[in-house]
Amino acid sequence: MSALATYSAQFERYANALTAAERAPRSVQFSRFLDSGFPHKDLEDWRYSDLTALNERSFEPDVSASDDALPDLLLDGADTLVYVNGQVHPASTAARWHSDTCALPPPAVGIDALNAAFAAGGLRLRLDRGTRLDRPLQVLFCSRSDGQPTMSHQRHLIELGDDAEATVLLDFSGIGGERLSTHFFDIHLGRNAKLQLYRIQNEAAGGTLVTRIDARLSRDARLDGVTVDLGGGFVRHDLDLSLAESGAEATIAGLYAHARQSHIDNHVRIVHAAPHGTSRMNYRGLVDEKTKAVFNGKVVVQPGAQKTDSEQRIANVLLSRKAEVNAKPDLEIYADDVKCAHGATVGQLDAVALSYLRSRGIDHDTARAMLLRAFALQILDRIEWPALRARVETALHLPAELTLDIDA
Amino acid sequence: MAASPDAAAVQNIREVTEMVASRKLYSAGFITDIEADKVPPGLSEDVIRLISAKKEEPEWLLNFRLKAYRRWLTMTEPEWAHVSYEKVDYQSISYYSQPKSMKDGPKTLDEVDPKLLETYRKLGIPLREQEMLAGVQNVAVDVVFDSVSVGTTFKKKLLEAGVIFCPLSEAVKTHPELVKKYLGSVVPFADNFFAALNTAVFTEGSFVYIPKGTRCPMELSTYFRINERNTGQFERTLIIADEGSHVSYLEGCTAPQRDENQLHAAVVELVALDDAEIKYSTVQNWYPGDEDGRGGIYNFVTKRGDCRGPRSKISWTQVETGSAITWKYPSCILRGDDSVGEFYSVALTNHRQQADTGTKMIHIGKRTKSTIVSKGIAAGRGQQSYRGLVRMLESAEGARNHTQCDSLLIGDQCGAHTFPYTEVRNPSATLEHEATTSKISEDQMFYCRARGIGEEEAVSMIVNGFCKDVFKELPMEFAVEAQKLLAVSLEGAVG
Repeated sequence: MSALATYSAQFERYANALTAAERAPRSVQFSRFLDSGFPHKDLEDWRYSDLTALNERSFEPDVSASDDALPDLLLDGADTLVYVNGQVHPASTAARWHSDTCALPPPAVGIDALNAAFAAGGLRLRLDRGTRLDRPLQVLFCSRSDGQPTMSHQRHLIELGDDAEATVLLDFSGIGGERLSTHFFDIHLGRNAKLQLYRIQNEAAGGTLVTRIDARLSRDARLDGVTVDLGGGFVRHDLDLSLAESGAEATIAGLYAHARQSHIDNHVRIVHAAPHGTSRMNYRGLVDEKTKAVFNGKVVVQPGAQKTDSEQRIANVLLSRKAEVNAKPDLEIYADDVKCAHGATVGQLDAVALSYLRSRGIDHDTARAMLLRAFALQILDRIEWPALRARVETALHLPAELTLDIDA
Repeated sequence: MAASPDAAAVQNIREVTEMVASRKLYSAGFITDIEADKVPPGLSEDVIRLISAKKEEPEWLLNFRLKAYRRWLTMTEPEWAHVSYEKVDYQSISYYSQPKSMKDGPKTLDEVDPKLLETYRKLGIPLREQEMLAGVQNVAVDVVFDSVSVGTTFKKKLLEAGVIFCPLSEAVKTHPELVKKYLGSVVPFADNFFAALNTAVFTEGSFVYIPKGTRCPMELSTYFRINERNTGQFERTLIIADEGSHVSYLEGCTAPQRDENQLHAAVVELVALDDAEIKYSTVQNWYPGDEDGRGGIYNFVTKRGDCRGPRSKISWTQVETGSAITWKYPSCILRGDDSVGEFYSVALTNHRQQADTGTKMIHIGKRTKSTIVSKGIAAGRGQQSYRGLVRMLESAEGARNHTQCDSLLIGDQCGAHTFPYTEVRNPSATLEHEATTSKISEDQMFYCRARGIGEEEAVSMIVNGFCKDVFKELPMEFAVEAQKLLAVSLEGAVG
């Protein structure tokens, strides 16, 4: 197996520094990774996203770059936990939510196994019953590499006790260079817990970012998620929600826009495992230049999950001849007393609307930007954190006069 | 329709009687040499050579078969479909259809399972089937139980219009240039596992050629039936509509009730040249297995139409009520500019039936249009999946697609699934997909029941309403048949 040789060498070096007890489970994961390699097109879940090119690559482990100056990404009014290439940065105000260790999953395959083999700790947010996080928590993952390609792998945990509440922003912002980062999040929401989760991805081209969020919702728990992709090289994001007990509710909104040469793959899976669950999935994409967008939504209603109410909407605007959209809104339903709907569209900006604006003396670029913003608004309106919303709108390069209404 | 239902039934009986009579004639010679034709179960190059020799095929066709067989050996059975079943042992199948000895077959109506007869009686069409069974004691039975193209019946009349309609094996001899040009041009020999297998061993099927500017004077119809134990059926149909022609083709299928699973791996190829139109309708009623999922047909079919010329049109309509497992995706390749593809489907799974069916629309030409309407009904422990692909290539300027797929669930043990793949590479293309899943509402049921309509009847009525968009695409006779079929297939699903 020469293809993955450099990973083997890295793992050997890494494992030698561990105790025997620490090493054993990681060796199992690593050998599973060696067996499967990086995911390829023949796997249904990776049909449009092929990572086999990484088999031949070689990544050095990250060296600490903690003292570097941070880009201006920290949001006002939030507590911050900052990782630069996987290391906690001294600018963090909420370092108490960091943990050096992490729990490993059962033996996995592919990139999940790679992550588990090398995984370092990361965010560990645990809230007791009835506690509420006063300020939103911004977890910034900053990555950069100069020269030699590097990789980092982290595992994170968010655990909210019954009736607990929190607002968390997972902020992935790369500065450049060739990197491979994987981040796996486990989220547990207790009864009636509420989590407002934002995920913003604005990596530089050239990097590979694989993230997965697994969340389990207890009775009457509520997860509101907003995910925004604004760039990146190869980005694969999995969001796996299980409405495990009755009355749980999940609302997920997503936007991918403004990427130039990115490969953006979103896989969202919502499993209704108990009755009276509600889920909403609303994704919108503005796909331009040479970007390839992949969206796979899946709603599974398990036997007995009666009175499920679920809706999936995916809308895309294709803006360039070199761009590509692959959307697949799946439904798997094993119960009969349910309300499930899904819809997917791909189209272009309305020529009539464009010409209407032009006839009112608005120049083409502004008119186009207005329509693009109108299209994205459904998702942008879900960002209830003004500073964050302003940052997203700025990143979208929407003309200033169009964004004035934010604070109004 | 002016004719009263009774008159139509009488007409139907007369036609069926004629058909049975014509089959009897055909069968006489067939049965005599059948004993000598027996091919033991198993698949090898020798078996393929034997099939080819029996059919007196030219060298190129044998080589085509062998090429497919050699490739098939390197392929693995696809597993992505949302179905689970016991894998087929390809060496236990006899590849040259051979009617079972008369001793073991049913000789009189008393020996035929009354449930089967009852089903046929309810169906209406299956009158033919009953006629055939009723005549069990004469030699015709073997032919009736075997799968034979009825095409020959109308051959002469069709020839006057210039239409060629005959079994494929005959066309190989009489029109080799057409067969050689088009066979395998839509579904390549190694397209997929089952298509490769079919290419290697196909034995039955129809060939249709509609010449330039001709509107086929009557509906063409082929009726397939698997009857033999331990066999697979490998039908191969090729339809070519030359420039400016039009044809409507119907296909029906049934199989007897057995405990074993049988394989039906067909390939259907349609070619529509400039301005031509092909309408292909299927009412599939293979034996679905019993309530506990014993027996039934594995229906693994590759159907594809190629809109080769500008402004051509291919329309698929299917009513899938039978088969234990259905794996079928009638597709359209919209190559010609302004060509149109349509897919209308009703699929019903009851008891333990599983269906993974849908379509593929590949938009290549400019301003190509496709419409997909899929209605899935799951009852009992049936599992129902719609799997569709709409792909718009870079060249598909101004292409449009609309997909509507709805599922109806009857009972809390069944499942309805949707897997719509959409791939768009042209910024001027427009694609819409919508889907809903629901059950029969209490209000609708109450309304019907309050007006003295029985429960099963009410369900049947509501289901028919649900399927209306598809049924209206079927030729009249088939639409009536399809409604009855649904009612029969749903029996026992309620209450």
